[in-house]
Amino acid sequence: MRARRLAAFVAVAVLAIAGSFALGRFGAYLVHAVAIAATGALALNLLTGFCGQISFAQGALIGIGAYTAGNLGNAGWGFGALLGGGIAGAVASVVIGLPALRLRGLYYAIATLAAQFVLEYLFKIAEPLTRGISGMNISPLKLFGFPLVSDQAYAALSIAVLTLAWVGLAAVMRTNVGRAFLVVRENELVAKGMGIDVVRTKLWAFLLSGFVTGLSGALVGFTTRLATPEAFALSLSIDQVAMLIVGGQGVWAGSLLGAAFVALVPEAIQRLGEAFHAATLLSAMREMAFGLLIILFLLFEPRGLAALLRRLVRGLTRLAAARNPPASAALTASRYPATGGSSEKAH
Amino acid sequence: MFVLQVATAGIATGSVYALIALGIVLIYKCSGVVNFGQGGYVMLGAYAAYALTRAGLSPPLATVGAVLFLAAVGAATELLVLRRMLKAPVVAVMMVTLGILILFRAVCLAIWGPDQLAFPQIFPQGAVQLAGIFITYNYVAAAVLSLVLSLAFLAFYRFTSMGLSQRAAADNSRAALAVGIHVSNQVSVAWAVSSALAGLGGVLLATLNGLSLTLSSIGLVAFPVIVLGGLTSLMGSLVAGLILGMLEAFTDGLLTPALESFLRAHTSVYSVGALQQVVPYLLVGGMLLVRPQGIFGQRGTERV
Repeated sequence: MRARRLAAFVAVAVLAIAGSFALGRFGAYLVHAVAIAATGALALNLLTGFCGQISFAQGALIGIGAYTAGNLGNAGWGFGALLGGGIAGAVASVVIGLPALRLRGLYYAIATLAAQFVLEYLFKIAEPLTRGISGMNISPLKLFGFPLVSDQAYAALSIAVLTLAWVGLAAVMRTNVGRAFLVVRENELVAKGMGIDVVRTKLWAFLLSGFVTGLSGALVGFTTRLATPEAFALSLSIDQVAMLIVGGQGVWAGSLLGAAFVALVPEAIQRLGEAFHAATLLSAMREMAFGLLIILFLLFEPRGLAALLRRLVRGLTRLAAARNPPASAALTASRYPATGGSSEKAH
Repeated sequence: MFVLQVATAGIATGSVYALIALGIVLIYKCSGVVNFGQGGYVMLGAYAAYALTRAGLSPPLATVGAVLFLAAVGAATELLVLRRMLKAPVVAVMMVTLGILILFRAVCLAIWGPDQLAFPQIFPQGAVQLAGIFITYNYVAAAVLSLVLSLAFLAFYRFTSMGLSQRAAADNSRAALAVGIHVSNQVSVAWAVSSALAGLGGVLLATLNGLSLTLSSIGLVAFPVIVLGGLTSLMGSLVAGLILGMLEAFTDGLLTPALESFLRAHTSVYSVGALQQVVPYLLVGGMLLVRPQGIFGQRGTERV
């Protein structure tokens, strides 16, 4: 069953990759923007949704991935540049995570906030590595000697990375380390009582989450072709947390849904604003919608789009079942075998 | 002389930080919510005072009006949003206050635009001469008002019956309910007072540094203050506010020039950028590692 689900998942991903080559430039741009944001949100989901460590340093970590991959890519590296971004992200994430070995919840969140500001400052100052506030130009990623230049190619690459990250992280959650994440999230004292090494568990979470964040940062660098400190400011961290909240914590699909929502809704509002010739109010409207959406989701659907979608699907099947009484009878019979003697024999 | 000049600037901004941080600590003590959106209330207070003077009120009246308006906004926030999130996890509560910050910024951007505005003169122009340095009335007023208000606030907490019920609600909400204190009303009051303090802080900061959307980022400067002072200590945020204000002023006035001249002489680095904005966070990082409960805070215990 699990193998069949994995196969279906990979098939969808392969279809999406093939389909992205049929898209126009703008469509492909939207696809890679969403896929890259979703990769970052997956990493944050592992850390916050599954392991319970709140982080506001995600924006700076994406920046570290982008700057590292950019420097390596400019030096002529290919795949190595992508991997380098991931490794740099993992190292930085573990370093930022060190306070989490002593701090919990709110205090750790404030520590990550501090880390975000310090890293932002370093991006501006470390001119030999980042070119400071004027920004660093990044040459296109070279894969097998060919530079990737089209948005379609990046869309395909981003979907491939997203798929790998998704499958990889979901696999981690089925190991002992993954199950330990859940216990640490629920209660660290209980985890200790169960003999779980809390320090090691948290370090694993930071390492894995940082690696995937770094990968998404590398892709951000190669697709935008320009890395500036402002691009990796606190607002990016807030965007990423918003994706997690809107999508739903602790559900992998939530990260993709949240990323799509947070990335596409402002785009739609911008289109709408352009249609009504209200360009001056545009950025204010976008921000307003963003803030309101966060508040409304937290108030009315704290479990996010993933829960909303699941409820919608369940409601629709129930509606369909009500229209087709015989089918519904068969459904209940097979699902609750204890109610009917005849179906018990069938099992 | 120069050192004194820098120190007075530090004390003035530091006492405003303390005023803003007091509001955050007050809400946290009362309801366990950390208001990441405090900067939004600071900014809204300054813009409200600006709008009221433009509507024809005299500046002092406009300040009072803005403070009252902010108190209403704070109480409304608690009633409409936070009261519904009593059992929500920490990340959700943090995020909802950030959402409020984003919303307020967007509203101010839509109404008043992104440019810096000329804030009305609230205090008389001119300066006092003290120990050989000149201090403008703006700085004197900011420091005196913030310090007096902070102390009055501490006294209110300690000596009045309402302060007692606030402390009771903060200390143990179930026990407070049992002795007949309406806890959720106390939380609303805390939000109103906290937002009013933030609004006044916004007006004072706008008289010092001008009026723009960047006022909203002051809320994030308040976090080093409360971490340094201890999240549960009102006195701590007062002391830590002054310390951080001084630290910022001295970094800007003395450390940055010294560091830059040293680096220019010995390396190819030309500028260290806005170092004064990072120093508080470096301090916070160190503080969290060494003494997470802050200078005055109490270490909590946890039950399984």
